[in-house]
Amino acid sequence: MARWGMVIDLDRCTGCGACVAACKVENNVQVVSPAEGERGRRMHWLRLLVEARGEYPHVEVRIAPNLCMMCENPPCTKVCPVHATYRGEDGLVGQIYPRCIGCRYCMAACPYSVKAFNWGSPEWPEALLSTLNPDVSMRPKGVVEKCTFCYHRLQLGREKARAEGRPLRESDYQPACVHSCPADAMTFGDLDDALSPAAQLSRSTRATRALEHLGTEPRVFYLEKRDAPL
Amino acid sequence: MKRASILLVTALALAAGTAAFTQSFSVQLGNPRGPAQPVKFPHDIHAGKLGMDCLYCHYGAEKSAIANLPPVSTCMGCHKIAVTDRPEVQKLAGYYERGEPIPWVEVYRLPDHVKFNHKRHVRAGLTCQTCHGPVQAMNVVVQYPSLKMGWCVSCHRERMNDPGFPASTDCLICHH
Repeated sequence: MARWGMVIDLDRCTGCGACVAACKVENNVQVVSPAEGERGRRMHWLRLLVEARGEYPHVEVRIAPNLCMMCENPPCTKVCPVHATYRGEDGLVGQIYPRCIGCRYCMAACPYSVKAFNWGSPEWPEALLSTLNPDVSMRPKGVVEKCTFCYHRLQLGREKARAEGRPLRESDYQPACVHSCPADAMTFGDLDDALSPAAQLSRSTRATRALEHLGTEPRVFYLEKRDAPL
Repeated sequence: MKRASILLVTALALAAGTAAFTQSFSVQLGNPRGPAQPVKFPHDIHAGKLGMDCLYCHYGAEKSAIANLPPVSTCMGCHKIAVTDRPEVQKLAGYYERGEPIPWVEVYRLPDHVKFNHKRHVRAGLTCQTCHGPVQAMNVVVQYPSLKMGWCVSCHRERMNDPGFPASTDCLICHH
């Protein structure tokens, strides 16, 4: 069984936001009004964390895409009272919306703050209705949602590989954010496959993981210059 | 005597209650009467008496997530010539001439939070009748299974260790 993981090269990332847009469109993530957004109700499965250091003209900006880390020891699944968030067969952390009761314990437990709560029913402008992805279900009001590493794409990839009578290749399964990155900053693949680019990069000396000391064993790695630790 | 009759009544009530309770969760027949359709298409004649393959009309079942409803032109392939004197066929020809799709009434409806894929199930060797029942004997198509989650999962559990096409019971498989 593949151990899917992602490597994000922060030295390559230009902060263009293509991954954020791709994620929102691919996964039917709700568009929240500015007024609601100001109340802290923004919906993102992937967002950019921007941090600026230093004084003009010596400013250093660090932009890090922040998404579900697919922890191997996830804190969120342990607090869910109804088994709505759990680690699935593929080792990916799933969120089962019909089961979720909206208690938001998982949001409080997640050290990366990557889960979002649906404060309202999903509403779409008429013009955007035809852009909805039928492979991803719409989330009702009152449930928590999060990045799934585009699980539907894994299923489509598996189906394609099966139809062609061959094992699943890495090129069959790429999440939308990785697919859309114009700077090639994101690499996705099987971390257990020594030959995969993602596995090799994850073992680089530049690789770190966010809040590693918590022991959550995230599957998202960040690559960064050594003099600027995360 | 009075005590015995009270006991009997209580036991009967309990038994009836348990039966009703278990039946509501077990595999059961769906709606015993199908909805009225705009054109009375008899599956028992087409799929039963004439022995047409399901995939002749629902050709998407093998190739895609959805088993499509055929366009009116598929019907007209035969019905330009075949039994043109019947009122239902004339109704069909009317739709064809006006260039309108037939507003069929959906019999099988799954909620949005369930992602069902026909292709995967057909590829795994399931016959259409496994889920849809004996459509070739139905004059009006009815919802044969309950379409409840327990009905799906009971089959997935049985085929969990199938050597060719193991059925998964991971929640994410259908709910994502």
